[in-house]
Amino acid sequence: MIEALIIFIGLALLFGLLLGYAAIRFKIEGNPLSNQIDNVLPQTQCGQCGYPGCKPYADALSKGEAEVNLCVPGGTEVMILISEITGREPKEMNAPDEDTQIKTTAFIDEDICIGCVLCIKACPVDAILGATKLMHTVIQSECTGCDLCVPVCPVDCIEMRPAETTTVNWQWPDPADAAIAAITPDQGSEK
Amino acid sequence: MNTSLAQRFIQKIALVYPTAKRWLYRFHGGVFPPYHKSLSLRQPIRPQLIPDRLILPLQQQVGQPAELLVEVGSYVKKNQLLAQSHKDANKDLVVPVHAPTSGFVEAIEAYSLPHASGLKAMSIVIKPDHKENAIDNVLNVNGALPETPQAIKEILFHAGIVGMGGAGFPSYAKLPKEKGKIHTLLINGAECEPFITCDDLLMQTKAHEIIQGAVIVADALGADKLLCGIESNKPEAIQAMQTAAAKTRVEIHIVQTVYPMGGQKQLIQELTGIEVPHNLHSVDLGLLMMNVATYAAIYRAVTFGEPLTSRLVTVSGLGLESPFNIQALIGTPFAVLANAAQPKVEIDYPLVMGGPMMGFQVQDNQVPVIKTTNCILANPPEPIEMQMPCIRCGECMDACPVNLLPQQLYWYSQSHEFDKVEKLNIADCIECGCCSYVCPSHIPLVQYYRHAKSEIKVIHAEVKAAEIAKQRHEFRLARIEREKLERETRLQAKKDAVKKQVADKLAQAGDSPESAVAPTQKSSPAVLAARAAAARRAAKSKATSTKDHNEPESDQLSPKTPVQEKMPTARRKAIEAAQKASEAAGTEKNPKTAAKNAAMAAAKKRALAKKQEVDAPPFESNDRPNETSTATSTEQRAANIPDVTDASQSTQTPDLTLDSTSEKLTKEVDDVTQNKRQKAIEAARKRARERQAKPPETN
Repeated sequence: MIEALIIFIGLALLFGLLLGYAAIRFKIEGNPLSNQIDNVLPQTQCGQCGYPGCKPYADALSKGEAEVNLCVPGGTEVMILISEITGREPKEMNAPDEDTQIKTTAFIDEDICIGCVLCIKACPVDAILGATKLMHTVIQSECTGCDLCVPVCPVDCIEMRPAETTTVNWQWPDPADAAIAAITPDQGSEK
Repeated sequence: MNTSLAQRFIQKIALVYPTAKRWLYRFHGGVFPPYHKSLSLRQPIRPQLIPDRLILPLQQQVGQPAELLVEVGSYVKKNQLLAQSHKDANKDLVVPVHAPTSGFVEAIEAYSLPHASGLKAMSIVIKPDHKENAIDNVLNVNGALPETPQAIKEILFHAGIVGMGGAGFPSYAKLPKEKGKIHTLLINGAECEPFITCDDLLMQTKAHEIIQGAVIVADALGADKLLCGIESNKPEAIQAMQTAAAKTRVEIHIVQTVYPMGGQKQLIQELTGIEVPHNLHSVDLGLLMMNVATYAAIYRAVTFGEPLTSRLVTVSGLGLESPFNIQALIGTPFAVLANAAQPKVEIDYPLVMGGPMMGFQVQDNQVPVIKTTNCILANPPEPIEMQMPCIRCGECMDACPVNLLPQQLYWYSQSHEFDKVEKLNIADCIECGCCSYVCPSHIPLVQYYRHAKSEIKVIHAEVKAAEIAKQRHEFRLARIEREKLERETRLQAKKDAVKKQVADKLAQAGDSPESAVAPTQKSSPAVLAARAAAARRAAKSKATSTKDHNEPESDQLSPKTPVQEKMPTARRKAIEAAQKASEAAGTEKNPKTAAKNAAMAAAKKRALAKKQEVDAPPFESNDRPNETSTATSTEQRAANIPDVTDASQSTQTPDLTLDSTSEKLTKEVDDVTQNKRQKAIEAARKRARERQAKPPETN
């Protein structure tokens, strides 16, 4: 009886110490769940979810404070990924999922720009270059297309334009679409 | 002897079992399409043809477009440099563009590219003058052979030479920098695509140039071994090449005729037995392969200083009466060459650049020949075979020369599961089209892979962009935080400095505290002056009023004195205010409003004072120095009306209360004045309101 007690107390102590050591030795910095969610978010930093960036939304999701369907640029795809990571029920997107959502970037009409620096302050990724009373311009490669600079412009000189297709970013068409297109007129003639 | 016996045996089997031919070479898969090569081999190389205009795209290869050096309207000579790179050429893969013939620059605008997309890009349009004014030795070579990789890279870069087999990778970027890194140099003479014969004819006619070009490169790079692979279906080319290579160290190897023998990795495996691993380039293994046309261009650049301005192009196809090969100028429109080959019917279908296996239909038949155009194919459109479902026969897998699983790739590409497609090594697909060729269901497999490849490229770009955006956003947050902190510390420092200054001054001014206060007053000399002036005026008016008072006061009755004693204080204040205002009126920008305000204040005070005064017999205190107390009541009354309406002066002065002789009259007058006064006050207020409302408009 007494031996059993001693053995079990000893074991309890041993494992307790082991666990305590492991907790310190293998401590993970930050919230791993939040980082994981942050990695699937599109990093547009547009704030359409109601949080001031992708990371804060990921933090809120990891704490269970936010809905899974708030990321507008990510769409249904990202929503499903988030619900998989958080283990929560997938929800319908509030905003209609635009299949034809083309990536756009901001363009500043440099003739109209008055150099008010409001858009520079609004840009979440510092992609707008300029100074007070000097013309501004957008660094195209850094623009995430978040639209945040558009409403703040007092002279409406910012425009969202789809990226120009060049031989570098041109994509081969999906042959499945071509196959469907080839079939459709046949069906029409049958009818 | 054994091998030839085995080969003969296999070829016998192949008569009944065609795929037995696959045992004759080292790499996996491959197909045996009908070649149709004799079509364009019937004619000798045609003489050069100068079209009405040449279109030279600024970008003809992988990488970035070159930068313009000419203007519209300028005259250019043959071989003249038209576009050059100002950037780091090694990093951006820019290749210069030279004039193929002499003429005028007609336009610089966007033209359709010979690219599957049919996109437009900036091009130089030259109108040839057919005089062929040439700049000889534009590259300034002295005939000395380059001895270091750096030297040959320099020449290749300035000559604008790119890989002419089809990929179009800039040759200078392909060569390694270190000497001795390449131990075996390979010459690709295995032109495996059906219809194309330009390399065959080049080997037949310019075997010497090819061999010399290869030797030059081998010497510069320090390569010991030189291997040339030629497919067995080009006996004349083999003959010519063997003759040219007779006294050099170039070894000519005859390889099996199979598609895609001309693929770089396939020919390397066939010639050396080395299979290039999936994440390495052949250069990493000490092997370098280039096309025969590239070697010929290198020879001409090194010995004659000629840039790459023309190339041998096969114009062939089932839709042409007399297909041929031609030394075509870069920039010649496709349609010009195709029409020169006597088309059977008018070409209203898209031409194909490249062979039937790997080529693509151009979107516009006017696209120009570029450095990578080896063939222009005019095959009349055939009825498209209906795509059927995959039956999982596995033919594609057997045909794949790079050992991929085309069926699985198709499956995942179709369902857009691009991560799985990527795991199946789609990046190694050479898009040779063998799988599509053998597919019994006529599935355009390569189209699926091309689409999947570009989708994967986009996904990778997006991931990279998201990573950069994340970093930039985080940096921005950190920056804002830092700026806030800096501002706070700066503010704190400023506050501390001010506090210290004050403390110091206090300590200094321990004996004379006024000196510490005086400077603050001095800081506003204008205010001080105004105050002094006001005080002076007040004193003056006080003096005058008392002076005026003295006379009537003596006449006045004793009981009025207490009121009289009381009144002056209130009045004086009002007067002071009015005077201050009128004084300010001289200096201020909107003096009227100021005067008005002052007048209003004075009027109100007076009204109050008057009310108190009502019971007691009024007395007169003339505050206006120019008015005399001797004026009669009627005169006063008469004078009062314009006085009230004139609000710019200290208004409604109660001068009418003066009648000291008759109490009755005084009361009567008082009632009248009371009414008038109220009216006057109202009028004044109204005016004041109007005037206050006006200034912003008038100003």
